[in-house]
Amino acid sequence: MYSDVDAEAPHVRAADHAVRIGPPPAADSYLDVGAIIGAARMSGADALHPGYGFLSERALLAEACMDAGIVFVGPSAATLAGLGDKLSARRAVSEAGVPVVPGTLTPIAVAGPEAAGRAAARAEEVGWPLLVKAAAGGGGRGMRRVDRAGDLQAALLAASAEAATAFGDGSVYLERYMDRARHVEVQLLGDQAGAIVALGERDCSVQRRHQKLVEEAPAPGLTPGQRREVHALAIQAARTFGLSNAATAEFLLGPDGRFWFLEVNTRLQVEHGVTELVSGIDLVQEQLWIAAGRQLGERVLEAADAAPAPASHAIEVRVSAEDPAVGFLPVTGVITAWREPGGPGIRVDSGVEAGTRVTAEYDPLLAKLLVIAPDRPSSLARLRRAVDEFHVGGVQTTLPFHRWIAGDREFGAGRVWTGFVDDRWHPGPIREMAARRAARLAAAATTIPARAPMAAGDGNVAPGSHRPGPDHAGGTIGAEQPRAAGWATAGRRAAVERWPR
Amino acid sequence: MTNPDGEGRRKLPHGSDLPGRTPDVRGAEALRVTIGGPDPIVVELEPEPQLGPEAGRRVHALARRADDVPGSRRFEVVVGGWRFEATVESAAVARLRERGRRSTGRTRHERLVLRAPLPGRIVGVWVSRGDVVEAGQRLCSLEAMKMENEMRASRAGTVEHVRIEPGMRVELGDELVVIA
Repeated sequence: MYSDVDAEAPHVRAADHAVRIGPPPAADSYLDVGAIIGAARMSGADALHPGYGFLSERALLAEACMDAGIVFVGPSAATLAGLGDKLSARRAVSEAGVPVVPGTLTPIAVAGPEAAGRAAARAEEVGWPLLVKAAAGGGGRGMRRVDRAGDLQAALLAASAEAATAFGDGSVYLERYMDRARHVEVQLLGDQAGAIVALGERDCSVQRRHQKLVEEAPAPGLTPGQRREVHALAIQAARTFGLSNAATAEFLLGPDGRFWFLEVNTRLQVEHGVTELVSGIDLVQEQLWIAAGRQLGERVLEAADAAPAPASHAIEVRVSAEDPAVGFLPVTGVITAWREPGGPGIRVDSGVEAGTRVTAEYDPLLAKLLVIAPDRPSSLARLRRAVDEFHVGGVQTTLPFHRWIAGDREFGAGRVWTGFVDDRWHPGPIREMAARRAARLAAAATTIPARAPMAAGDGNVAPGSHRPGPDHAGGTIGAEQPRAAGWATAGRRAAVERWPR
Repeated sequence: MTNPDGEGRRKLPHGSDLPGRTPDVRGAEALRVTIGGPDPIVVELEPEPQLGPEAGRRVHALARRADDVPGSRRFEVVVGGWRFEATVESAAVARLRERGRRSTGRTRHERLVLRAPLPGRIVGVWVSRGDVVEAGQRLCSLEAMKMENEMRASRAGTVEHVRIEPGMRVELGDELVVIA
């Protein structure tokens, strides 16, 4: 199913059967439960996979599927509701004996006569700095960091208002901000008979705006003992509301080596691919088997046994239409060139091609580039090569950042924390160096003979040739219409015309 | 305009002249490259043909735009994942243009000189020295090729000189009225 924005998208064209569900605004298409159930009914679907993002974690969609007699490929509506409310999840998981990030277990009142005083008292118990978080939150929305008591009230009001707009629920709570902590999450699969396994963990510490940029499996530097510990904590957390199908339990790993529970995402995650590569398990296929009522198979159980001591290392980078020079601001435009890397150990999951228009309508994610190799250093080397091979024209992407991090010493040593990007990414000099190279290349491009075809451009530069290129109407260098007068002649003419009398 | 005026101009190690110097005989060869962006980078350099193969892979010609400087070419260049828009033109031409712009700029700011667009005969003068004129106000009338052409002020100001009187013959480019 697709909205009007995606009507010409490669994945829509690749589908055997595609159904339009509405206009560009997500509220009228990808967030419209009625339109989605209608499309599933119309196409005679037995089951519906909600993907990630949009309605994938909403109990509302799971219930609507049940009412329509369609199998929802994901956890039950009860699990989605119980774990979807971050506060109810924190309470239940804490009662089950899993350490949760210190903070409040009940909502903070933001309005009312004594609200400000009570909130301040509870904040003092949590300690500074702290985070104000939305109970219904996700994707960094409804989240504020507060360093001083004086800023608390404003942050509470802002976060609550933002959460009410984004999720229809303005409940907020407080959580201690853990400095130099890592984000470590565990991939879980559960079947309808009640078995739950962990397929390994991922480190997703490298984030901007509380959204992940780089993810890897396994988390670097953990001992098999630490892996077993966090896998067991994740399974314990998932048991609180029962889990059939796929979910991810997220933890903070403090500098002292202790794990603290954050939340459970009751869906397939964007970064599930790195776990697929390392475990050898096709997670979407397993989701379908589980939804069809099968128990976890032999291969899944074996992969779970091997998870504490994985035999390979996978890294994913998110290639998004964002400018890494200006705070990863999303950019729009038309992709004019798109060339993906390839070869052994490379996987690219993409939804665009040359000619695709990048709009501000949805997430700026264009592609996920994944690499796998026997160990982390070889995986990083492979990533460096693949990022250099990835060519995107027409829009700025996050590729310069990925090129940098793949060669960064701290990242190479596995020293990551959630503030990594803010603390270490200084794009100015890196971009300037590239700009100077770009200037030399642009100048050299004027020496490429006019009629030389682009594809064979490498061998087509006459030695020592300074022949000016023609005036042009855009397009590939060399493939343009040659004109008798080159730019030099035109330039001279222009200068004569504009010379002040 | 794609070409900023001098601001933020820097030089490559192998760059040629400082901008603003008299173009020398190599002037036709040297190129000025402007890398666009919020903080544009302007360099002058000579093309290095040995970079051609790499340029063939990383440089893509962009379509001309209406406001492009004549004789300039625009390229998209992708280096290390960074996407740049580069404008390339002859360094000598760019300097000439800048000089031209500077002098017209001074004229525009300090005084407006109204010159005869055609050879002809003055048939009417409606202002005299010291008059304050509005933009669009008529100043004089020139008969040429059996047509009467009204000359109007392109901006407001004070009339500094009137070089003409009715019945006078003028040649192309002669000064008619000066507005300060």
